[in-house]
Formats: sequence, C-alpha cells, structure tokens
Amino acid sequence: MNEEIRSTQAAMERCGYIAEPAIATAVYLAKEMQKPLLVEGEAGVGKTEIAKVLARMLATDLIRLQCYEGLDVNTALYEWNYQRQLLRLKIAEREAREPEKLEQLIFGREYLLERPLLRAITRREGPAVLLIDEIDRADEGFEAFLLEVLSDFQITIPELGTIRAEHVPLVVLTSNRSREIGDALRRRCLYLYVEHPGFEKELRILHGKVPGVNEQLARTITRFVQRLRARELRKLPGVAETLDWAQALVRLHRDALDAETVRATLGCLLKDEHDIKSTGEEAVTELVAYASARD
Amino acid sequence: MSGAHGVVAQLARFASALRDCGVRVGLGDEIDAAAALTFIDLLDRAEVHRALRIAFKVQRDAWETFDRLFEHYWGGSGKLERQAPPQTLPRDHRGPLQWKWDGERVRLAAPAEPEQPEGELPGYSPEAVLRRKPFDQFSASELAAMERLLARLALRLATRRSRRLVPAAARGVVDLRRSFRRSLASEGEFLKLARRARAIDEPSLVVLYDTSGSMDAYTRVLLAFAFALRRVVKRVEIFAFNTTLVRATRMIAPARIPQSLERLAAGVPDWSGGTRIGACLAEFVALHKETLLDRNTTVILVSDGLDHGDTALLAGAMRELRARARTIVWLNPLLGDSRYRPEAGGMRAALPFVDHFGAAHNLESLESALRFVP
Repeated sequence: MNEEIRSTQAAMERCGYIAEPAIATAVYLAKEMQKPLLVEGEAGVGKTEIAKVLARMLATDLIRLQCYEGLDVNTALYEWNYQRQLLRLKIAEREAREPEKLEQLIFGREYLLERPLLRAITRREGPAVLLIDEIDRADEGFEAFLLEVLSDFQITIPELGTIRAEHVPLVVLTSNRSREIGDALRRRCLYLYVEHPGFEKELRILHGKVPGVNEQLARTITRFVQRLRARELRKLPGVAETLDWAQALVRLHRDALDAETVRATLGCLLKDEHDIKSTGEEAVTELVAYASARD
Repeated sequence: MSGAHGVVAQLARFASALRDCGVRVGLGDEIDAAAALTFIDLLDRAEVHRALRIAFKVQRDAWETFDRLFEHYWGGSGKLERQAPPQTLPRDHRGPLQWKWDGERVRLAAPAEPEQPEGELPGYSPEAVLRRKPFDQFSASELAAMERLLARLALRLATRRSRRLVPAAARGVVDLRRSFRRSLASEGEFLKLARRARAIDEPSLVVLYDTSGSMDAYTRVLLAFAFALRRVVKRVEIFAFNTTLVRATRMIAPARIPQSLERLAAGVPDWSGGTRIGACLAEFVALHKETLLDRNTTVILVSDGLDHGDTALLAGAMRELRARARTIVWLNPLLGDSRYRPEAGGMRAALPFVDHFGAAHNLESLESALRFVP
C-alpha cells in the first residue's frame, strides 16, 4: 500500500474514524487530484462522518450545505442583506454623500450574506472542507448549478464582480440514492460506495464510540447486528443504530444479551414497523443464541 | 516511459471492456483513472483495484462486472490477450412474435364485445365514437386518430406544487432580490414588489407494461398511451414484463409507434408469452426502487393480472411499491367486460395496494384513469 494512503488511514483513525483501505484511498485521491468526492451508501454507514473527520484531520473548517427540496441559489450561494442596505440608505439621506460612494458602500462585502458555497471558496486561511449533504434531496436543476461552481470554483456576483476561490475547497457530496444523481455531476467527482462495515470494523467503531461497553458485550452486539443485517429487512440497521443500541444496553447495565432485553430495545435497531413485526420471538431467540455463542 | 505507456494502453483496453459489458465509463473517467494511478502504489493490486473503482465511478450494482474484468485485465500474470468480453444483456430472439400488425387491424385475442350502435347516432362526433370503441376493434386510421387524441388528453395532467420558489406574478412571498433589481428602473422606488411562489412540480411516471399473450389486443394502444404521457411528463420510465423484466424506455421513440413496437417485440424475450407478474415486480422493486420511485412518482401497471407465479411475491412487491410511490394505478383491459370479476389470484393479491383500479379497454376508461396520474 502506498505510504501516504496508509498515513491517511492512520490519521483518520486518530480522529475517530475507522477507515477501510477503500475509504482512505478515496479520500487520499480526492485530496491529491483536487476532485470532489461523491459518497453513496445506505443510511447510517457513516457517509457524512467522512467529511467531518476530514475537516478535523486537516484542522480546517467544515462548511456544510444541507440539501433539501426547494434549495435555491439564495440559500446556497449568497444574498444581499437588504434590510441593512435599506437602513443604510435611510441614514445616508441625511448625510448627503456622493451617490457613487454610497453605492460602493452598500454593495460592499459587509452587506453580503455569505452562504455555504461562497463561504467555502472565500475562506482565507486555507482550503475548507465543503460538505454537500444529501444532494439527492435537492432538485435536479440545483445539481446543474452545482456543476458549474464545482468545476470553476468561482462565483459571479453582478454588483461585486467575480470571486475566485482563494483555495480550492475539498468537497464531499453525499447521497442516499433516493434518486439517481445525474451523470454529469457524477463524472466530475470521484466515487465511493460505502457498505455496511464488516465485523472487525464495526467492533472497533463500537469500542471507539461507546467506551463503557465491555469486550464480551461488544462482540455479542456486533455479531447480533451483523446477523440481523443478513435478514430480509426493509431498513437495515446502520452503524449509528448499533451505537445507539450499545448505549442503551450500557445504560440498562446489561452485561449480556437475552431475548427479553433485545425485544424491549429492538426499536433502537429497527425503525420500521414491518421489520419489527417480522423479527418475532423465534427470530430474536435464534439471533441471541447465535450472537452469544463463544468464539 | 514505455512502462507508463503500457499502463495507459492497458487502462484503455480495460475501459473499453467495461463499456462492452454495459458499465458506463467515459473518456473523462479514463483520464481520472490514469491520474489516480500516478498517486498510488502500482505494485499493490488491491490498491489499484480500489483506486480504479473510485476513479471510474463504478456504482454498486456494477461491482461484480468490474471485479470480473479487473481479474481478467489486471490479473498480474502478464497475459493480456483480449478475449471476447462476456456479453451482458443477451438479446433473446426465440420469443414467438405472435403479435401481428398487418397494417389494417390488430389481431383479435379476446372474443369481440357485443357490437354497440356507433357512428349513426345523432350528435355523436367521430371523437365520441372513438372514445367508447374497444381498442381491439380499431382500424389503422382510427388508431392514428386515437394516438393524436391521447396526446392531447395527456396535456391536461394535473400537477402538484413543489417546495421550490420561482418568480410569480402577483402571489407568493416578496422576493427582495428581484424587487431591488426592479426598483433600479424607477430610481430606487419600489413601485411593484417582485414575488416568488411555489413551483409546479414535475411529476414522474413509471409504466410497467404486461406484454404477455393475453394482452396482445391492447398492446398498441396502451403503449401509445404511455408514449403520450411521455410527451408531457419529463421523467417517464417504461418497463415491459412478462416472464422477465425489460427496461424499454430507450427502445422506443414516441414518434414511431409501429417501429418501436417491433423493436420492443424483438428486445423483450418471450413477447406474447406467459406472465410472472410477481417475480417481475419484485425484480423491479429490488433494482429500481431507490432511483425511480419517490414521492412524486406515479406507478401505472398495465396488466390483466393473470399471474402464473407466486402471489405472495406479488403482494410483497406491491407493498414495497406502495411504501415508495405516490400513487399506484392499475389498468386492466379485462375490466371493460361487465362479466369480469378481479378474482384471478394475482389480481386479488395486488388490489389492496392499488389506489386506482381502472379499465383500459377504451379511451374513455383511459381518460378517467388520467385523473389519478400526478
């Protein structure tokens, strides 16, 4: 393995993210090739976490743009602070200033509300990490707009002129695949698909994030969840669910799993009525027996 | 130097093999891949594998193909002779083409309905006749007229408002940005405030089309219906199914229905054969639920519900559809017959999940179904 990928992996781990080689490679390549990284995968596999860890690792700001249906340029890019501009004009009426000066004043940077995309490219201290979260929730039109920003890293504001990126930010886009991302955007990025973690990885994450859990219980929990994911479920439990569940069990002072506790706390893992119903008494008993078996 | 050149050539061969197997890889991806290779340890095969998968942007469903070809092209043994890449999507031409269009009439599959008086009634425009006439009795010119009518009908689709705000004339919230711009023309006075209101949402549509033998008589018209919808709804996906599921959206061109039908008949294995609705729907759900189904999606199923497969499978798939899509419309040509009762196993299993269960034997019935399309 390339030394630098290995050190990326180690650095991510120091920041609390257990990265498989594939994730470390993707992060390293995105950094070196200065390309956005598009991360896809099921809910709860830690897609957003990658960006957060990246920011921590590089000791820089995480600038987050949460996408939603109806997101537009005013909320993503910039907006003039109209109220403040109006106030300034009112004051100016009594001052009798030169009109050009006044115009320069109210269309100055301090009257500009920077939204995430603009903030990401104007950060002075060094490249920021720009997280564009759940891009699949935004409209397709927004995707096209994003394409432009991500390729040039410059933004034109009619009153101010073109603002070029001081430092090209490291961009991470995430998608839950609630709709297919357009080819054009996908092509512009590097692509990483994150799967549910394997046993060893999940166990390490569990130890890292829930310090109060003992070794035996952690193993049992992980085995249980891994086995549960193999079942026909509508919504597979992600790592986030595993951690919640482990927290819950620690709070309940359980040292081992039993069917009754599992049934009482199943809501931490399964968030779908149909899934909970289909995981009945028999299934839980079987899962507990499997998970509790000594290695 | 020659080593680097060798790697690039190898990469190009690999990319072209990927393309042959249906993995979408563009030139830009090849360049990315070549760039990525300069950053990694070329002697570590696993790392080359990871880097290429990232740089080629290989989606999860294409991983198996990618892995297989990677094994072949980057096997490390130095043998690089090019074998014919395994074909995906084998076209099945065995399917008996029972569906016939002789230029005059669609072949009758079901016993003709009792003739209704038509044409001679006073006040009956030809269009009105057309509306009531069962599809299986249509002649070629009538079909053409019908297609035009359908195209017009589809234009009337109702729509939904999205959460997105777009400039609007006199209603909605004040748009300060545009108001300011506009005030420049009147020396800074706000004579008229600009406003924004919620946009009209673009609906998306998935048509799942049964091409089994029992549906033959209706195929042409119902496909014309799907085409007509395609003209007004931007996102339409059309699938044909009988014993297997085929994504037909790209096989058809709305302007040329007869040719499209021929292409479809050739591309869809077992055209006019039996049906396994359950298995096909389950496959659709498994493969496409993430990308094609959302809160704006209307699913139109066109089938007679005569399933030769497992009804439990069908019910499961329908439940999943129900959970994802906005509306489910089931069009059943048999419903036009007053003697028909939806008692076939498949139909009964699916009905609880259907929002609108309608006939599809004549234009009038299609028109009423349109009310349920977004």
